Amino acid sequence: MYAQAFFVAVFGLAAIGFGVVVFRTSSMVRSALALLFSQTAVGCMFLAMQTEFLGVLQIMMMATEMSIMAIFMVMFMMDPGGMGGMDMTHQKRFSIGAGVVAAGVTIVVAFWVDWGPVTVEAPDAAMQTRALGMELLGRSMLIFETAGVTILTAMIAATAVAIPVQARANKGEMESPE
Amino acid sequence: MTLAIVLLALLASVWLLAVTEGWTTTGRLRPAAPLLSGLAHLGRESIVPRTPDRVFFETAPVLFLIVAVLGAAVLPLAPTLVIADLATGALFINAALAYVLVAVIMAGWGPNGAYAMIGGWRFLGQLIAYAMLIVMPITAVAMRAESLVTTVIVGSQGSLWNIVYQPLGFMLFFIAAMALAFRAPFDLPIAAGELGGGVDAEYTGVRLAVLRLARLTLVVTLASAITVFYLGGWHGPLLPPWAWSLIKTLAVAVSMLLVGRYLPRIREADLMRWCWTLGIPLALLNIIVVGVLVLVVP
Repeated sequence: MYAQAFFVAVFGLAAIGFGVVVFRTSSMVRSALALLFSQTAVGCMFLAMQTEFLGVLQIMMMATEMSIMAIFMVMFMMDPGGMGGMDMTHQKRFSIGAGVVAAGVTIVVAFWVDWGPVTVEAPDAAMQTRALGMELLGRSMLIFETAGVTILTAMIAATAVAIPVQARANKGEMESPE
Repeated sequence: MTLAIVLLALLASVWLLAVTEGWTTTGRLRPAAPLLSGLAHLGRESIVPRTPDRVFFETAPVLFLIVAVLGAAVLPLAPTLVIADLATGALFINAALAYVLVAVIMAGWGPNGAYAMIGGWRFLGQLIAYAMLIVMPITAVAMRAESLVTTVIVGSQGSLWNIVYQPLGFMLFFIAAMALAFRAPFDLPIAAGELGGGVDAEYTGVRLAVLRLARLTLVVTLASAITVFYLGGWHGPLLPPWAWSLIKTLAVAVSMLLVGRYLPRIREADLMRWCWTLGIPLALLNIIVVGVLVLVVP
């Protein structure tokens, strides 16, 4: 129990530490990968809390998602390496205020809410995976299927929006990006 | 004890693979060559390029090696010879190998060199092509075993190996594994002769030695995964279970090298198109066929 609490705390602090690095660095790739390792630490917190499937899934998903985010940041930011000395921050006072308020609200909610009794014995990992599968294909099926179809629609729509622009550019109707 | 045995087996497999690779390339069988080559790398100056991202540059080779070994941790050599028999083993190996991408991007971005950076981002493009072909065939394997536990997956192939039960899944996974290990013809991130070594370009000395060791370890880990998922793992007559696992793993690893020797390097756009327009529909078909077989055949 104490060991579990210790590891949850260590990974929690690591997650916060990497989260701070995200905003402290000017390099977009460093920033994206710091966010990745922050999320990986959250995945390790899941593992420390004996939720194996969720932990491994979190660790797996974040690696590709954050790497893809990194290349988009490199493509669209003006100083992706952070070596040009550009200041990319803005609305500093508002951001600090919003951050402090959000942190305060989170802490208050965490301490005030009645979280119910602590689970003494977590079911074994295989049973958890089975229970999660049953949940996804039962009560929560409509929610997840709706989310999945919505994301797929958005992806197809985004691709469809991107293609005509390229086609027009090729025909010379638009100025070529080069 | 299990940890030591598995690591030793992994190291021995990497050594055998390196000897075989040297043998097929130079035509001379030199068992000491990998060791001598490693020592030579240790003796050379390990140059740090100008204005690198030092954290990435130093972390990338080590992270690459760690994730390749972590992937092997859930793959059984024998019924009890597995470092961690996780309830989510088949998912865990995906999670570990996803960080190969992170390591390669770090190795590409870290040295502050054009060729390395292009190599690193190329691997990200490659991932978009192969990622689904890693995950979807494993889904079909887990469907047959009704479990994500790797030892149960091997157990489910006692009567019939998955290479016969789901040959389509095997072919797709084999190709995707080669793309993940960026071996020829999918060696776009390295692309010798075109990118001047790509992600390897700026690494020298001990760092290059670690990077090359990690890459060979990854090949062995993936070959072991193919053995566990499709070739019946430790199942086989006469020899002890661990021997069968090692023989099959090495055979798969060597076949991966051989396939690469006879095929030209594939273009990134072609790889992407074939994976998405042909590979993914075939992977879906594989899942449907396996689903029907699981439900219909007792």
